Amino acid sequence: MKNHLAATLLAVLAVTGVFVQPVAGQRDYKPPDGPTPRLPSGKVDFSGVWQKPYVPDMTKDGKDQKGYPELPFTPWGAAEWKAYDAAEGDYTGSCLPFGMTRSVNTPEPMQIMQSDKYFTFLFEQNSWFSVFPIDGRKHGNGIATWFGNSVGHWEGDTLVIDTINFNGKTRLDTIGHPHSEQLHLVQRFTRPDLGHISYEVIVDDPKTFTKPWTNTRTFTLRTDWEMMEYSCEENNKSLWEGRIKIPRYKR
Amino acid sequence: MDFPGYTNRRLVIALAACLVLALVQPTVAHHSFAAEFDANKPVTLKGAVTNLEWANPHIWLYLDVKNDDGSVQPWQCEGGPPNTLTRNGWTKDSLKIGDQVTIEGVLAKDGSKTCNARLVKLPDGRSVFAGSLGGDNPPPPKQPH
Repeated sequence: MKNHLAATLLAVLAVTGVFVQPVAGQRDYKPPDGPTPRLPSGKVDFSGVWQKPYVPDMTKDGKDQKGYPELPFTPWGAAEWKAYDAAEGDYTGSCLPFGMTRSVNTPEPMQIMQSDKYFTFLFEQNSWFSVFPIDGRKHGNGIATWFGNSVGHWEGDTLVIDTINFNGKTRLDTIGHPHSEQLHLVQRFTRPDLGHISYEVIVDDPKTFTKPWTNTRTFTLRTDWEMMEYSCEENNKSLWEGRIKIPRYKR
Repeated sequence: MDFPGYTNRRLVIALAACLVLALVQPTVAHHSFAAEFDANKPVTLKGAVTNLEWANPHIWLYLDVKNDDGSVQPWQCEGGPPNTLTRNGWTKDSLKIGDQVTIEGVLAKDGSKTCNARLVKLPDGRSVFAGSLGGDNPPPPKQPH
C-alpha cells in the first residue's frame, strides 16, 4: 500500500523544492552564445556536457521542463501506479540501472558524443551510458534491456531517437510512474543555438497508457563542467543496512 | 514523544520542517526518498562530528549526540551526492571532526539512529553542504574553508 501522505508530501516538496530554487549554475552561469554547431557532414552536432532539469515527476512543470499533468492510464497502468510502493522494492536505491527516462530525468549532467554513425549518452548518474546508431538503420533483434534498443534518424535538423525492447523493470520517474515492456520512447533533439538543446520525449506504451504523451525540456551547455565518476555501489549504506529493499522481479 | 538530546515536537516541527523543505530542499537525489525516510518524522540533532564519508552515492555524516544524562548516542545522516556538492564548492574538509553541528533532518523509517540531513549548521550559523540532496538544490554560500 502506498503511503499516500508521504507521496503527497514528496510531490509537493519535489515541486516546490526543485523548481523554485535555482541552482548555482543556473543563477550564475550563462552558456556561450553562438550558432548551432555542425559536424563536417553538415549534421547538427549535439556534443557537449549538458545540464538537464531534474524531473522526479513527469506530470509536473518546472524550470526548463513542461510535464503532462493527467496521465492517460489504461486500467492496467492505473493499477500498477496505485500498487507501487518504493518501500517494498527500490531498484534505483539498489543501484540497478535507472533506464532511459529516469537517467535523462536525473539532476546529474550527461555528456553527448556523436559521429555521423553513432550517438552516445554518457550519463553521470551511476556512470551509465547508452550508445546506438543514428545512420537510419532499423531496430535489430536483441534481448530486452533496462535502457532498451535505440536507433536514430534525422528529420531535417531534428535528431529522432527511437527506443523499444525495454525489459519493463524500470519506472519512468522517481515518484514511480509505471510503464510496461511495450514502452516505445521517442526522443527528439534540436539545437537552436550553441548553448541549448530543445528536447522532447514522447512516451508511447499501449499497455500502460491510452495514448502517447510528452514532456518538453531545455538542456543547457555547461562549458565549465567535466563529467565525474559516480559509483552507486561504493558506499550504498542504505541498501547494506536494510533500509532499502531490492525489488523482486518475475523471471 | 521526547527523547533526550533531540526534539521531536511533531506538529510544530513537522509544519516548520515542511516549510524548510519546501523552501530550501528538494527531497530526492536519485532514488525514492519515501522508500527509506519518513517525511512525517522530522528531527533536530545537535552533536559533534565524528566522521564524514565523502563517497558516492551519498555522503554520510556521523555525529555523537549527548543525552541529558550525559550518555552519548551516535547518529548517522545521509547527505547529497559528492559530485553535486563538489560542483557547488564543498569538499570533505568543509567540516572537521569535532565540529559541533545542528542537523535538521528526517528520520529513517526503520527506527534506527539514521536521518536524511536537510540542513547542517555550524554554531556561527553558517550552513554546510546546503543543498545537500541534489543537483538542483540552492547553492551554498561561497566561504573560505
